[in-house]
Amino acid sequence: MKASTTQPVIALKGLVKRYGIGDAEHTVLDSVDLVIEKGEFIAIMGPSGCGKTTLLNILGLLDRADDGEYLLDGTSVDTLSAGRRAHIRSNQVGFVFQNFNLVPRLNVIDNVALPLTYRGMRRLKRLKEASRMLSTFHLSEREYYMPWQLSGGQTQRVAIARALVNNPSIVLADEPTGNLDSRSSHVIMEELADIHARGNTIIMVTHNPDLTSYASRVIRMLDGRIDSDTKTPRATKPATAPKKRLDATMASSEKKPAKKRTRKTKKANKS
Amino acid sequence: MRLLLSNHITNAYESLRGNRLRTSLTILGVTIGVASITVILSLSGGAAKIITDQVDQLGGTIAVVRPGAVTKETQVNNLTASLAGSQPTSSLTEHDVNNIRDLPHITAVAPIMLLSGGVTAGDNTPGNVSIVATTPDLTKVTDLPMIDGQFIDSVTNRDTAVIGAQLSVDLFGTEQSIGRTFRTHGQTFTVIGVLKHLNNPINYNNIDFDHAAIVSLDSGKTFNQNVAHIAQINIKADTVDNLPGALTQIRKVLNTNHQGEQDYTVLSGNDLSRPSNELFSTISATLVTVAAISLVVGGIGIMNIMLVGVSERTREIGIRKALGASDAHITWQFLIESLAMSLAGGILGYFFGYLLAFAVARSFLTFDPLFSWQIAVATLGISLVVGLLFGLYPAIRAARKDPIEALRQYH
Ligand SMILES: Nc1ncnc2c1ncn2[C@@H]1O[C@H](COP(=O)(O)OP(=O)(O)O)[C@@H](O)[C@H]1O
Ligand SMILES: [Mg+2]
Repeated sequence: MKASTTQPVIALKGLVKRYGIGDAEHTVLDSVDLVIEKGEFIAIMGPSGCGKTTLLNILGLLDRADDGEYLLDGTSVDTLSAGRRAHIRSNQVGFVFQNFNLVPRLNVIDNVALPLTYRGMRRLKRLKEASRMLSTFHLSEREYYMPWQLSGGQTQRVAIARALVNNPSIVLADEPTGNLDSRSSHVIMEELADIHARGNTIIMVTHNPDLTSYASRVIRMLDGRIDSDTKTPRATKPATAPKKRLDATMASSEKKPAKKRTRKTKKANKS
Repeated sequence: MRLLLSNHITNAYESLRGNRLRTSLTILGVTIGVASITVILSLSGGAAKIITDQVDQLGGTIAVVRPGAVTKETQVNNLTASLAGSQPTSSLTEHDVNNIRDLPHITAVAPIMLLSGGVTAGDNTPGNVSIVATTPDLTKVTDLPMIDGQFIDSVTNRDTAVIGAQLSVDLFGTEQSIGRTFRTHGQTFTVIGVLKHLNNPINYNNIDFDHAAIVSLDSGKTFNQNVAHIAQINIKADTVDNLPGALTQIRKVLNTNHQGEQDYTVLSGNDLSRPSNELFSTISATLVTVAAISLVVGGIGIMNIMLVGVSERTREIGIRKALGASDAHITWQFLIESLAMSLAGGILGYFFGYLLAFAVARSFLTFDPLFSWQIAVATLGISLVVGLLFGLYPAIRAARKDPIEALRQYH
C-alpha cells in the first residue's frame, strides 16, 4: 500500500496529559502512541472519562500535551507559534464539539460561515458556501433561525455543517451523533463518509457500535491508554448502499412536508 | 494577515446594538468629555480669532510687551493663564517705556496700568469697572473712537478722565457726560471724553473699554506709591517691514535693562491673540477639568463594559479560536467595538459641544465659537485615543484566553 511510503498525518509518541497538581493530580492521557495516515476514518470508543475529548482537543491544537511528542504532517506542534496553530485550525481542521458550541448570538448561516471568516473569505461568498453546506444537511429552511430555535438534532447538524464548511483535511468529531436517532445519525455518517471518500482524514468519537462500520479503524481507549486498535478491512462499502435510502427517509421526515405545504398553498392561491 | 475589518465592524455593530442601554451609557461618558473639549477649543479659537482680526486691522505694526516669562503656547494654557495685570508686581518699568520710545521706527508707545478699586458718582458705584492709567499714545496703537469729547493728552489736566459708554450710563444714566465728575481712590475726576460702544471685551489690551475709566499714567501712579505698575506696553512701528527690526531693538533694550533676566515677553502678530478674559479663564479651567475627568471616566466606562463583554463572550471566544481565529482576530474584534463606542461618543460630543459653545457664547460672550477642521480632527482623535487606550487591555485579555478554558465556561 502506498500509505507506508507517505508521511503520517498524525504521529503521537508517549503523549501525556495530566490535570491537577499534587495529590489531586491525575493522568488523563497516559503515554499514548498513535500513528494516523492520511485518509483514515478512525472511530474512537471507550467509557466516559477515559480521555477521548482530551485527545481530540490536543489533536486539534486546542490543547497542549504535558509530555510526549505530537507530529502533525511531520512537524512537532510544540514548535508552532500561536498564530501558526490558529492558521492550521483555520485551514486544516474541522471541529465538531461534543456539545455543539454554536455561537448563541449568531444565526444558523452565520454560525456555519464563521470558519470561512478567518480564512479571509468575503461575506457573500461565505454565505453562499454556508448555504450550500446547510442544504446538504437539509437545513436550508433553518438558515436564519437562531441556535435556540433549533431542535437538538438540528443543532447537531448545524455544528457538523460548520465543521465541514471549510473543507478540512482533518475532521475531529466528538460524538457527532450523540443526541440523534439512528436515522439522523446515518445521515451524518453518510456525510462524513463522503468527505472521507474525498481523501480526508476523519477521527470520530462515538459510543454507538453500529457506526463503527463506517470507520476504517476502531480504537478503544481505557483510562487514558489505547486498549485496542483494530483495522476494519471494509470501510466505504456500507456507506454507498444505504445513502439513497437514508436520503429518502430523511427527506420524507423533514423536507417534504414543508414543500408539500407550500405547494398546496400555491395551488390554493391559483384556484 | 487580513484584519477582516468590515467583518469586525458588522460584528461590533450587532453586539453593541444587542446591548443598547449599556452601550448608550458608555458612550455618554465619552460624549461629555469630548463636548467639553469642543467647547474649550471652539470658544478659545473664537476669542483668538477676534484678536487676530483686530491685529490684522491694525496692519501688523503692533507689538506688545508683557511682564512674566514666556509660557507654553497651548491654547488651554493661554486661556487659563492669569491676567498679567493681576500679578502682584510687574517686571516692566517706566524706564523700559522711555527706552523703547527712543528707539528708531517706533511711532507710539503706550504703557497700560490697571488699577483696582471702584468709581463713584453720586450714589452710583457700578461694579465690574476697569480703571486704566495710560498715556495719550494709546489712541495711536488701539482704535478708540469717541462719542464725544477728546482723549487724554499731554496738555489736559491730571484730574481728567475718559470713560467707556457703558460706564457713562452706569454712572450718570447717559452717554452724554462731558464735564460730569466721579470719584476714585479719594480723588475727583472730570469726564472729558466718552468712548463709543465697542462691545468688545476680548482684545489684546485685556481691557473691556465699555466699562473702563481711563486716566493719565501720572494719576495712576499717585494711587500706587508713585510706581507705575505696568501690565502691558503697547508699541506701534512706522511700517510693517520695520516691525521685525524694531522688535530686535526692543529685545536688546529690555535685555540690557533687565540684566539678561527673561522676566518679560515680547509679542507681535498672531501671538497677541493670547486671550485674557477672567470669566473665560474660569469657564475654561472648569471645562478642562470636566473634560479630563469625564474622558477618564468615559474611558474607564468603556474598559469596564468591554471587560464585561469579554467575560460574557468567553465561550464565544473559545469557539472562534477553535474555528481558526488568531489572537489578532480576537483582539481586533473587541478593539473595534471599543473604538466604535468612543468614536460615537466623539461625534456626539463634537455635535453637543458646539450646541453648548453657542449657548455659552450667546449668553455670556460677545463672539461666536470657531469652526475649523482642526477642532474636528482633534476631538475625533482624542475620542479614538480614549477608545484605543481603554479598549486595548480588554481586547488583549480576550485574545489571551486559552481556547479550552474558554470552551469550558458555561453560562
Ligand atoms: N480541566 C480539567 N481539569 C481537571 N480534570 C479534567 C479537566 N478536563 C477533563 N478532565 C478530566 O479528564 C478526564 C477525561 O476527560 P474527557 O477527555 O473529557 O473524557 P471523555 O473520554 O469522556 O471525553 C475526566 O476524568 C475529566 O474529569
Ligand atoms: Mg468527551
